[in-house]
Amino acid sequence: MIISIKDLLRLLGISIVCCCAVFVCTFMLNFYIDANNLSDIPAELQPLYEAQLLTAKFTSSISGGFLGVIAVVMLLFYIRLFIYSHSVQLGILKAMGYSNIKLAFKFWVFGLSVFVGSAAGFILGFAFMPMIYDGLTVDGLSEIAINFHPILFIALVVAPTAIYGVLACFFAVLSLRKPAGELMRGRSEKFKKTKNEKSKNRPFLKEMFIKSVTTKKLLTIFITFGAFCFSAMVQMAFSMKALSADSFAEIILVIGLVLTVVVSFMSVTSLINANTENISIMRALGYSLKECVFSVLGGFIPFLFIGFALGTVYQFGLLSLMVNIVFADVEKVLNYTFDVPLMFITLAAFIVFFGSVIFIYSLKISKISVKQSAVD
Amino acid sequence: MIEVKDVKKSFNGGTVEVLKGISLSIKDGEFLAVLGASGSGKSTALNVISGLERADAGEIFYGDCNISNLTDKQLTEFRRKNVGFVFQRYYLLSHLSVNSNVRMGADLVGNKNYLEFIEAVGLKDKLKCKPATLSGGEQQRVCIARALAKNPYVLFLDEPTGALDEETGRSVLDYILKLKKDRGFTMIMVTHNRNIAETADRVICMNSGKIVDEYSVLNPKSAYEIGW
Repeated sequence: MIISIKDLLRLLGISIVCCCAVFVCTFMLNFYIDANNLSDIPAELQPLYEAQLLTAKFTSSISGGFLGVIAVVMLLFYIRLFIYSHSVQLGILKAMGYSNIKLAFKFWVFGLSVFVGSAAGFILGFAFMPMIYDGLTVDGLSEIAINFHPILFIALVVAPTAIYGVLACFFAVLSLRKPAGELMRGRSEKFKKTKNEKSKNRPFLKEMFIKSVTTKKLLTIFITFGAFCFSAMVQMAFSMKALSADSFAEIILVIGLVLTVVVSFMSVTSLINANTENISIMRALGYSLKECVFSVLGGFIPFLFIGFALGTVYQFGLLSLMVNIVFADVEKVLNYTFDVPLMFITLAAFIVFFGSVIFIYSLKISKISVKQSAVD
Repeated sequence: MIEVKDVKKSFNGGTVEVLKGISLSIKDGEFLAVLGASGSGKSTALNVISGLERADAGEIFYGDCNISNLTDKQLTEFRRKNVGFVFQRYYLLSHLSVNSNVRMGADLVGNKNYLEFIEAVGLKDKLKCKPATLSGGEQQRVCIARALAKNPYVLFLDEPTGALDEETGRSVLDYILKLKKDRGFTMIMVTHNRNIAETADRVICMNSGKIVDEYSVLNPKSAYEIGW
């Protein structure tokens, strides 16, 4: 079995998510460790100092934990996709006598995407650290020196790589437990249980619309997450400009947009690739481009708006929590209220962004050859 | 009446000439078999005549309509209203039931009576089944029902029994011939099997992108009378 460079390049999304997670965790945790060692804090600055420490801990836990989970889901999604698209090859190897464990062991390379992302995030974290320290250090306190902590490198780069590598092998063992013959029958012959399925006699386009979503549940999660990132991070970045350093808001904005772009394009690309043959046959029979786009992508539009709503609630909850609880004892902290105009501006930008994504992919769909089904 | 006039088609920027100027006419309700070895250009001819692909040169008339001049949108509309396809590899939508796969064709023309086609191919009891649970012959029959549920003016078949064993192949061919007899649509079938071509009204033979022979079959045979 060969896991090619092209296969690994498809894991770029995981690398980027890991990069974002480790980037935030690196400067926040490094700041937490370095700032924790300060002594002689004036009493009047003690609440703000403690609030800043708590913020560092809180932010790294939230972003690290949340993005870490997303990276796990993405990794498992890609392994499943790899096994699905290489099932004939894997089936032949199994038929020849290779054991599941021997085959699954090769999947450790999927962990490399985590290494690439987390190492890049770690380096970026250090590159931005002077600016972050400057923004986070409480006025009146002595300058906090930046130190390298090997434990952070182990915790944020080495350990995730090892854990994700093992996880990849473990998931591969579970996925490869099918009989060799079933794997060799390939993707088009994949058997699905139909016994308990509710079968309604819906018009074809409506059925395609619904089944596109119900058969791609993981992609639904990713698309919702992409919309969530856009909504939460953009609104949070602009709301935070009034509450903290500009540089910090800018970092949040960039991370939000990068995650949105990566997750959205990865999800929609997977969706279109999985439906290429279906679209091709629909086009051959005479369905218009609009009908094809609607039936494949239309079902995900409600999830975009659910993601937007969740992101709005999340950023409001998080900022309220920070201002009203973490910084409660700190004087001169501005009040935070929900910014309605900002939400509508973000919603407009959100519609433009995702409208563009759908437009770009409708161009891709229009290029799917109608004769592909007849000659491939 | 379908009129094909000096149609040419090349691939790879013109370096591989697949159709070297074919001309033929097909009468309404006729069953034409296009016979040829692998690489003779028969499938490309089918794709071009059906509007799945554009010809590089030449004209294709369906009555007065020259499909060579249609825009992509008009060509989609043309396929929607006029043609049905049956492919060698079925191309059913694996995540949808037999019912939905046939509705895929029927809904294009607003055909509410599509169940009669599922019944006609003997799959009424498999309505809710997914394609992966069906045998090859059953899947091909779903493909036939899907194509006919569009009520096409012309049905194109590209090696419809090519992936089937003899018994299943004969059965599928028999369904096709019976439906053709009952409904009278025009039918163009590509095959490499000389025996199967004997079921048609007329046979054209292709070699190296050209029509090299053409003959009428005096007594078209049934699916169970031919050799395999």
